Amino acid sequence: MSESDSASAPQPTKAKPLRLSGSQPFTQQPGVYIMIGERTNVAGSPKFARLIKEGKYEGAVSVARQQVENGANVLDICMDEGMIDGVTAMTRFLQLLGSEPEVAKVPFMVDSSKWEVIEAGLKCMQGKGIVNSISLKEGEEKFRQNAAKVLKYGAAVVVMAFDEQGQAATYEAKIRICERAYRILVDEVGFPPEDIVFDPNILTVATGMEEHNNYAVDYINATRWIKANLPHAKVSGGVSNISFSFRGNNKVREAIHSAFLYHAIASGMDMGIVNAGMLEVYEEIEPELKALVEDVLLNRRPDATERLVDYGEKLKGVGKAVSEKKAEEWRNGTVEERLSHALVKGIDTYIEVDAEEARVKLGRPLLVIEGPLMAGMSVVGDLFGAGKMFLPQVVKSARVMKKAVAHLTPSMEAEKEARAAAGEVVKAQGKIVLATVKGDVHDIGKNIVGVVLACNNYEVIDMGVMVPCEKILERAKAEKADMIGLSGLITPSLDEMVHVAREMERQGFKLPLLIGGATTSRAHTAVKIAPHYSEPVVHILDASRAVPVTTSLLSDEGKSAFVEQHRADYEALRKAHSAPKLTVVSLEAARERRTPIEWRAEDLPAPAFTGVRVLDNFPLATLREFIDWSPFFHTWGLKGIYPRIFEHADHGAQARQVFTEGNALLDVIIEKKLITARGVYGFFPARAVGDDVELYTDDKRERVLERFHFLRQQSNKEGSEPCRSLADFIAPRETGLPDHIGAFAVTSGIGMKELCDSYRAKHDDYNAIMAEAIADRLAEAFAECLHKRVRDEWGYGCAEGLSNADLIQEKYRGIRPAAGYPACPDHTEKGPLWRLLDVQANTGMVITESFAMWPGSSVSGLYFAHPESRYFSLGKIDRDQVADYSKRKGMSVAEVERWLGQNLNYDPAE
Amino acid sequence: MKKVHQHPLEKILENRIATIDGAMGTTIRTYGMTEADIRGERFKDATKSLLNNGDLFSLTKPEMIGDIHRRFLEAGADIIETNTFGATSITQSEFFVDDPRERGGRKDPAFYQEIVDDSFLGSLAWDINEQSARQCREWADRVGTATSRQRFVAGAIGPLTVSLSNSPDADDPGFRVVTFDQVKTAYAQQVRGLIAGGADLLLVETIFDSLNAKAALVAIREVFDKDGKELPVMISAAVGRGGETMISAQTTEAFWNAVRHVKPLSVGLNCSLGPDLMYPFLEELSEKADVAISCYPNAGLPNPLSETGFDLGPQDMARYLGDFARGGLINIAGGCCGNTPEHIAAIAKALEGQPPRKWGPAHSEESYTGQIENPA
Repeated sequence: MSESDSASAPQPTKAKPLRLSGSQPFTQQPGVYIMIGERTNVAGSPKFARLIKEGKYEGAVSVARQQVENGANVLDICMDEGMIDGVTAMTRFLQLLGSEPEVAKVPFMVDSSKWEVIEAGLKCMQGKGIVNSISLKEGEEKFRQNAAKVLKYGAAVVVMAFDEQGQAATYEAKIRICERAYRILVDEVGFPPEDIVFDPNILTVATGMEEHNNYAVDYINATRWIKANLPHAKVSGGVSNISFSFRGNNKVREAIHSAFLYHAIASGMDMGIVNAGMLEVYEEIEPELKALVEDVLLNRRPDATERLVDYGEKLKGVGKAVSEKKAEEWRNGTVEERLSHALVKGIDTYIEVDAEEARVKLGRPLLVIEGPLMAGMSVVGDLFGAGKMFLPQVVKSARVMKKAVAHLTPSMEAEKEARAAAGEVVKAQGKIVLATVKGDVHDIGKNIVGVVLACNNYEVIDMGVMVPCEKILERAKAEKADMIGLSGLITPSLDEMVHVAREMERQGFKLPLLIGGATTSRAHTAVKIAPHYSEPVVHILDASRAVPVTTSLLSDEGKSAFVEQHRADYEALRKAHSAPKLTVVSLEAARERRTPIEWRAEDLPAPAFTGVRVLDNFPLATLREFIDWSPFFHTWGLKGIYPRIFEHADHGAQARQVFTEGNALLDVIIEKKLITARGVYGFFPARAVGDDVELYTDDKRERVLERFHFLRQQSNKEGSEPCRSLADFIAPRETGLPDHIGAFAVTSGIGMKELCDSYRAKHDDYNAIMAEAIADRLAEAFAECLHKRVRDEWGYGCAEGLSNADLIQEKYRGIRPAAGYPACPDHTEKGPLWRLLDVQANTGMVITESFAMWPGSSVSGLYFAHPESRYFSLGKIDRDQVADYSKRKGMSVAEVERWLGQNLNYDPAE
Repeated sequence: MKKVHQHPLEKILENRIATIDGAMGTTIRTYGMTEADIRGERFKDATKSLLNNGDLFSLTKPEMIGDIHRRFLEAGADIIETNTFGATSITQSEFFVDDPRERGGRKDPAFYQEIVDDSFLGSLAWDINEQSARQCREWADRVGTATSRQRFVAGAIGPLTVSLSNSPDADDPGFRVVTFDQVKTAYAQQVRGLIAGGADLLLVETIFDSLNAKAALVAIREVFDKDGKELPVMISAAVGRGGETMISAQTTEAFWNAVRHVKPLSVGLNCSLGPDLMYPFLEELSEKADVAISCYPNAGLPNPLSETGFDLGPQDMARYLGDFARGGLINIAGGCCGNTPEHIAAIAKALEGQPPRKWGPAHSEESYTGQIENPA
């Protein structure tokens, strides 16, 4: 739609929204009024003005913070006051807000009548804010200049309806000036029209002067005209002006503000500066008052002002601000919870009170620091590691920590003095020398670590960047430091760190050495740096992790345990590193070497049915025929193959005995139906799609019912040996051939718990174990027996005529691999199986959080029918496949790595 | 204020994905240069170690830097970057001026005022920028002519060693070591040198602090206005795991809102995360921004135990960036730390024939009105 066909009625939905940002984006939503916090305006808030004048910036920051907490979308910041140096105050305040992540997320409105103050504000904002304001007051040239500067910094702009003649009071003057300003901005300066916010002057009504009576109407009409005629422009205004003549009568003022906003917003007003505490809800204004107020605002009768004044006299004194401080729910938690919350959210308002409460509760100040405060900081570390907190928030948390520690320090000093007086040796606060190593100029990350440590009461000696080894060591000696921390961001710094470690060893240092920076790693520290120095060399992952390490290293009680654990961990890392890595082929190459199968329709028989069948109360006597007894002996620690095991020289007799007793118990179980076997299985139309197998609702193979994800061999594959995946055994989609897959879940464990409990109650552990061993065999037998049935139902099994021994040796066609076993080691693939067969409802079998099956004595898996299908072991896989698999499964890489830990050909920590 | 003619690179971007080169720093290290090499005659008396101040090689070993430019161009890069990542008075000061903290002092605006006023550092910064842009120009034109394909020189403007958003003082969160105007002055000096040397584009890159970047963008605007010459600007941020600029913690869309007024040729992401972790943020940027999108990630996250220092090889990078292209997310692609000419060749090959991401001024507004007309 072109811009010129805007009709005369306001059509805000067609306008481009105002887009701003602090650290977070803000996008104006259609029809939603933008809330501008105005308590950070010295002209509007005496409290804020006093805080600034007295240099109490911390209090001023918390005013800003409350505004954001109360839902302000934008903060209006104004320092225009005779006694305040505007440039200095604006700069200082915005830099403080820059370090206050909860406030810095919103855009700021720099509000001043002085250009130099506005420009000072623009130099402190990383995001896109709003300048409030510029106007034609000093002529077009100045206006153009200022507008171009605003555009240069990338802010939106409020334009006051002011020109060389002064403030526009009437409708005609307002629209004339606004249109003139708009044309200059858009046509000459190139200002984005959606970033222009007009303030067509909200002037005071009900002053007794007749010419003021139409001021509200003029504003509202001008707003409507601007929205209709100046495409994408926005409208704002200072609302409290309107009711100025009712100063001291809050009840009336609140009603006027609400009614005014109601009408102005309906006409297209996008935002305004108003104290949210001075607003009545429009619907809740008393009808009589509302009528009187609207008479005034809409200039509906000549005596409107007198009538409202008379009514107002009656109300005087009863008015009160509507806003009520919202009770802060988190204050209801335990003191430990409150401390943790304060650290994570960076709130320092109550930190001293809470620290004191914790000190009394725990008895000693140090216990507060090493207990709840450190726990809170470790939550911060976890959140940062997970990308859920950002660096400025970590720093802010550390600053809150600093306040708590500062509060606790006097009592720690007192405690120390008392101990010293009693003749004990008392340690001073920890001292750490930090430096970015020689050759490296990267400073900022190290600075952040320094701040975090300093906030935790460490004395931090930051030697800066490019610091040669000998200077670091000299200084550490001179200062009698407790620790040295090295930082570096570029690869060559790694060698310099090794050099420092060697020198520390040579010079007989006894201090722990900390290593940090973007290219460093835990594994590298363990493998390359730590071996050169006898004292602990500890890698610090990020600023949020520094304090727990330094605290442990300096703690009297905790140090030895920490060091021992640290040495063990790093030794393990070194072992893992020196273990020969298998050579792996890339996933891409592995896929090219999939199991070679020539797909022919005659190899893909259709099963007798598709869908799910339940087998309840399956005859145990039948299952007995299918038992593979060899594993039964393993349970008893007897190695050998049934039946040859009976001839075994050493334990043949023992084998015979457990076999006899086991069969006797089995007789009883079958006869008395002590346990129940239940299963569910099914066949489904399927196709391989990449390394996934898709199952469909019907033979048309259009609607996907479920999806299994398989992994592919990548390691140590010589020459032309295939890199197998179970997906290879189902006809790929590209062949167009109709294939099927089977699935099953069986258990013989129902009733087992009761049976075993009854034996144990009689202290008969032997039979309890025996019953479990038998039930396990029955479950396996069930799977084998069902597989036979499945092959028959699939057609190709009918003619196989195999003995049980043949079955045990798997001489038949097809396989039944299970999730968690070598061919598909990911246990979580039981999830789709459970959904597919509705296993829980059909059998009562459940999967636990760790994807184990309950009850025990359960087996589940998939059936593959192709003659080429075979068992294999996945072996080690590489990062590329893990990344690909995580995408396919919609699971994070970290979680995949957790489930497949045994199969990774790399150390995820590296 | 409207641009009258279309830049030739813009025309290319409409038809295909352009390639930008790989890493300078990590590639230099493969040449086995020594401290004596980097010092040459000009810096032989410097007191600090200079070997990692790679920008100086453009003055002392131009033939080696030229060889790297040539290799990237021959690998298929349409755009090569000048070797000027740290070529500002502020960053150079770290290598040439004693750190006051070594003696218990501190770095603050008074310290940096001396730095930006220092004539040695000023002329050094000028020389590096001007010389490096000139060398790139020469190679870009030489290979461009030989292959009948125009190549472009992007003046690389790095993030500095100081932050305008972070306070290193534990007692004062409002403290800053440096001022906006000082940063702006240092950047303006760099921009002028790059333009004088013949850069086609200006690339504000590896942005970890949006306020630093803003100072660079303001400096660029002021230089354009004063000197009367304007070049297309490219903007590229280095983001962390949450998609935030690493130090100032600005999220992707917020960042775009803050720089959109520059009307850059492109906006994008580079360095920091590897391509795998970058994807969601690139997608967000691609959705919001109505300009070309660039993407030149590290060859994975740094891995100090791997031989190259990074995990991903040429084929890996080619695969990832090929995926981004198929996803319709990018217009300019290449590599940052750990990417050699071999990586760039593989990337260029993978992108051949891939359609570029489509964008236009209508894009973002359509989605806005669409949102209103279909409230569901």
